[in-house]
Amino acid sequence: MTDNDQAILAAAEMSPRIARYSRTFDYLIVVIAAFLVWSVTHIHFLLFAGDWDFFIDWKDRQYWILITPIVSIMSAAAFQAIFWTLFRLPIGATASALLFLIGVWIVRYHAWEGMAYFPLSLVVPATGLVGAMALDFILVLSRSWVITAVFGGVIYGLSFFPTNWIYLAPYFQPAEHMGEMASVADIIGYVFPRSGTPEYIRIIERGTLRTFGDSANWVSAFFSAFVCMFAYSVFWLMGVVACTPKYIPVGYRFKELYGAKIDAGAL
Amino acid sequence: MKKATLLVWAATTLLFSLMDQAAFAHGERATEPYIRTRTVHWYDVTWSTDALNVNDTVTVQGKFHLLNDWPDSVSLPNLVFLSNGSPGAVMTRVESYINEIPARQSTKGLIVGRDYDFKLVMKARKVGQWHLHPVMNIHGAGAVVGPGEWITVSGNEADFKDPLTTLTGNKIDDLQTFGVSRVQMWQFGFGLIAAVWILWWLRRPLIISRWLVVKKGREDLLITPMDDKVAAALLVLLAIVVLVGYTRTTSEFPELVPLQSGSLSTPPLPKPPHAVEIKFKRAEYDVPGRSMRLSVEMTNTSDQPVSVGEFTTANLRFINKSLPAAVAAVSSKFPKELVPRNGLVIDHPEPLAPGESRLVNLDTTDAAWEVERLVSFLSNVDSRMGGLLFFYDGKGNRSMSEVYGPIVPVFKKTI
Repeated sequence: MTDNDQAILAAAEMSPRIARYSRTFDYLIVVIAAFLVWSVTHIHFLLFAGDWDFFIDWKDRQYWILITPIVSIMSAAAFQAIFWTLFRLPIGATASALLFLIGVWIVRYHAWEGMAYFPLSLVVPATGLVGAMALDFILVLSRSWVITAVFGGVIYGLSFFPTNWIYLAPYFQPAEHMGEMASVADIIGYVFPRSGTPEYIRIIERGTLRTFGDSANWVSAFFSAFVCMFAYSVFWLMGVVACTPKYIPVGYRFKELYGAKIDAGAL
Repeated sequence: MKKATLLVWAATTLLFSLMDQAAFAHGERATEPYIRTRTVHWYDVTWSTDALNVNDTVTVQGKFHLLNDWPDSVSLPNLVFLSNGSPGAVMTRVESYINEIPARQSTKGLIVGRDYDFKLVMKARKVGQWHLHPVMNIHGAGAVVGPGEWITVSGNEADFKDPLTTLTGNKIDDLQTFGVSRVQMWQFGFGLIAAVWILWWLRRPLIISRWLVVKKGREDLLITPMDDKVAAALLVLLAIVVLVGYTRTTSEFPELVPLQSGSLSTPPLPKPPHAVEIKFKRAEYDVPGRSMRLSVEMTNTSDQPVSVGEFTTANLRFINKSLPAAVAAVSSKFPKELVPRNGLVIDHPEPLAPGESRLVNLDTTDAAWEVERLVSFLSNVDSRMGGLLFFYDGKGNRSMSEVYGPIVPVFKKTI
């Protein structure tokens, strides 16, 4: 135990015995919290980003780069706010992204490949882990959620594309398929059929983004960074609200209904 | 008695747990009947084989007709995608065509009332017995599943490979595994840094102690100067890793392309021979008798006498067994469950002479109406039926006519 740890326990007025119990409690809570963070982040992402990160042939230059970081920063910000507000623990964003990544790989192995026979090359996930770590680092350094929103939010949105491009770029090599040019990702999406996912439901660069030519990726990344600042702020504040317990006043009949013994004289 | 009941219960449970529980269905009967009977009608569908080894291919080909009586509530086939129905990626799709035009992407502008041919080439990947259908996905309407055949795949799954050479000359050994280890390696690396950061904090007094310290306003104890240094160092480390990694990747793969999106178009097939004009009179579904009866006025507009050979709807083929040409048109390999045993019964089966008009009652009685879940069309807001009638002249030449109209549920015979 370091001097700092002892100073914390002293400030908390914990005896060595209570500190030991508290440590056991820590272990239990960490495990439970991990599952909670994991599941909430996963469900949130599936509901709002879903297909854009399921399949390699959905990872386009516009919506994948835009939607995936904006959605994933939401749970990162909310959990960061909760961990920071209550415990001054700057690990909420990193834990959210890391647990989500572990969960995604488990699902990709067991559900997508194991049960539906989709090869992993079709369903490799992207991750916002680097941006999430940057959020936590900046929060520690600045001690300010506003500065974290402005700088961390921008870094989160901007770093998503280059980080994931390091390992996803090979999927965008050109190849010839049935007399047409296609990316390897397109071919993987075609070759391993998804009966319920026809090609036309992919939303690939709809709009005028392609007027930016080869820079479309970076235009999306900068816009994503801009939106991430606001998404972070909104969800940070929601996390803070979640840390503030509120009680609804109820009458004695309601309390009796739930087994409370009401002293008639006190009424 | 109680013991015997328990024993039976246990034995039944054991039996069911040992039986193969795999679900083979993949929604071929799930689409509403008014879509299956009034949109895409598949015909002349064949499978090149029903047994193959891993890496062998099977070709599914045939034609489909888009019925003129397309339901109002279903989007027109302005954008479609030809696919296959099978339980997951048990087979890979090698090629697909509509009217010999590659259908790698979606096809736009199909015309209602016209015919198209299709071809799917599939390669066996997973060992087992798989139901393989052609499927037409219609934007805004969903999937219309064609007839399915059971395909038996044997061999060794480990032998399956799908190699590819890119336009830049890079050789990919197998698309199934391509790039996966690179993704895992990098994500594991980032995960390791994240884990170090989390453990850096978890090793200290955590929940209650930190909460109490926060309450007392002693935050200076919770974040130390060393924490600042570690955070700054890791931030710089990550920035360098990402910058170097991205730069090296762009130089390693200088020629990259975005995802390819778009749609193709193709004109329909020439109109097939049309020897008989159909005037719809009445259709009813006899609920207790499981019989769909049609009353139509047929007029032979050709110069040859013709006979009714087949009525097809929702992949069911009701064959007039008294007409050899119609019977011969059904391949022995066509799925038996889609050819109802009772066939098509016609009250006036004699050939229709050139120029002749005749009121004809057609009877299609079979449990297949129930089995294929087609009777719920009686509860639709738009209770209509549709299908194709095939006619044969004395030389065995085939012509096709659409038939469609409202359908009435009845509980006793009226026509």
